[in-house]
Amino acid sequence: MDTAPYRRLAARSWALPWLLGVAGAVGALLFWTLMAFWLKGGGGVISRLPTPLTVGADLVEYAKGTLWRDLAASLQVFLVGWILGSVGAAAAGLAIGQSKTIGAIFGPIVEALRPVSSIVWVPLAVVWFGFGFTSKVFLVGLAVFLVVIIYAIDGARRIPADLDRTATMLGMTPLQRFRALVLPGALTQVLVGARVALMSGWGTVIVAELVAADYGLGARLIAVQQSYDVAAVMASMVCFGLAGFVMNAIFSRFEHWALPWRFHGGAQ
Amino acid sequence: MTDRTRISRVVLALLGVAIVVAVWQGMISYYGLQRIVLPTPVEVASTLGGLFVSQSFWHDVLVSLREFVLGYVIGGVLGIVVGTIIGERPAIRMVIGPVIEALRFIVPFAWIPLTVLWFGTSLTGKVVLVAYAVFFVMVVTTARSIATVDPTLSRVGTMLGMRPLAIAFKVHLRAAAPGIASGAKAAAALGWIAVVAAEYIGASAGLGVMITNASMSLATATVIGGMVVIGVIGAVVSWLVGYAARVWLNY
Repeated sequence: MDTAPYRRLAARSWALPWLLGVAGAVGALLFWTLMAFWLKGGGGVISRLPTPLTVGADLVEYAKGTLWRDLAASLQVFLVGWILGSVGAAAAGLAIGQSKTIGAIFGPIVEALRPVSSIVWVPLAVVWFGFGFTSKVFLVGLAVFLVVIIYAIDGARRIPADLDRTATMLGMTPLQRFRALVLPGALTQVLVGARVALMSGWGTVIVAELVAADYGLGARLIAVQQSYDVAAVMASMVCFGLAGFVMNAIFSRFEHWALPWRFHGGAQ
Repeated sequence: MTDRTRISRVVLALLGVAIVVAVWQGMISYYGLQRIVLPTPVEVASTLGGLFVSQSFWHDVLVSLREFVLGYVIGGVLGIVVGTIIGERPAIRMVIGPVIEALRFIVPFAWIPLTVLWFGTSLTGKVVLVAYAVFFVMVVTTARSIATVDPTLSRVGTMLGMRPLAIAFKVHLRAAAPGIASGAKAAAALGWIAVVAAEYIGASAGLGVMITNASMSLATATVIGGMVVIGVIGAVVSWLVGYAARVWLNY
């Protein structure tokens, strides 16, 4: 049987999205370049739009210079805040999810705090902790906490009924039940929440550094903005995007490794 | 029995509030905190009362709300249109999907300095920023909701002799509406925060300006009062969007 046409079709369907995607990216860059030339003569509000090449050159320049120091500073703030926020949310979520009384007392407070984004806390954090490391870690930790706690509460509450019956049948003590049933369920959800919180935590790092700028990518962003260097501003934005993308990719991998059953369509 | 559980719920919730207020007040008395570090709950309440009768406060609220509403409508409409096109035409999704995915990682807040350079402290800069934030949420949720519409519905449409455009508007968009509505709710919360964050960096009026100014002059009671107002407006806006969606979708 001649399978060549089918193989060709398979190859095409694999290559097509790539080709079209590259075409889209090239088109977007072309559009950007054309806009840059068109706006060069002044006129519209956007009087300064550098070409992609200028931004790329600036990015290379930045990478040779202080990029790594800035990136390290931002990542440090992010990681410390993210871990503290997730751990705190896991503990609080377990308590609220497991005890009906604690849930009834503190649940409404968490609900009332949640709509107030951590970004709204920036001015207060500046008053409390100044412009240093602490205030940024506080803000990122808060952002992550408010996202993860919902997942943690949900995980601690929602124990599959059949597993619950099995535990009763096996005559587990409350402590055994907690360790074998509640904790794994809650921690799984915490992990999912921690990933959702990745982007909101990273966004909070940006705002915190823009306002309380001493070191970091956000501080650099504000510094080059104040010297009206549009190409450098765009280069910093690209760094923020790339860092967010890489962190997301790494954590996705980790999630696949730690919670394989979520991705293979099996039970649960 | 249900009445009793409801009453105990309310009592316990009030107990929670009482604990927070007691801890707040207790920290001030115990550590002898200054008013500029942490004002008492009563002070915050009276500051809030003062804000409600001041004209400049309402001006700030109106400025922020106008920026939000304009940006939300522009970004929301564009996002639904582009999202529908992407959801309907896989070829177009393959072309502009990667570009949108790449831009999505540059969170709206990173655009703030650039919008200040381009548009100054004017209304336009904030509207653009909010529209950007809302646009991406709406594109992604709309495209996803349309792509996951039950294919049987499309087949029924084709069988009834509907043209592709009619199927897109009358069948897909309607079937995808609940997903789009929940996206619209999330976008409202994000857009409102984007307004506040943009006002921190470059603005001449608005709630973000009000609380950063208060923070610089160490008027902490005004900072906390402003935070409460921002939180309440954010919750109300998000509730209104959810309510409008429910009424419109006839649940």
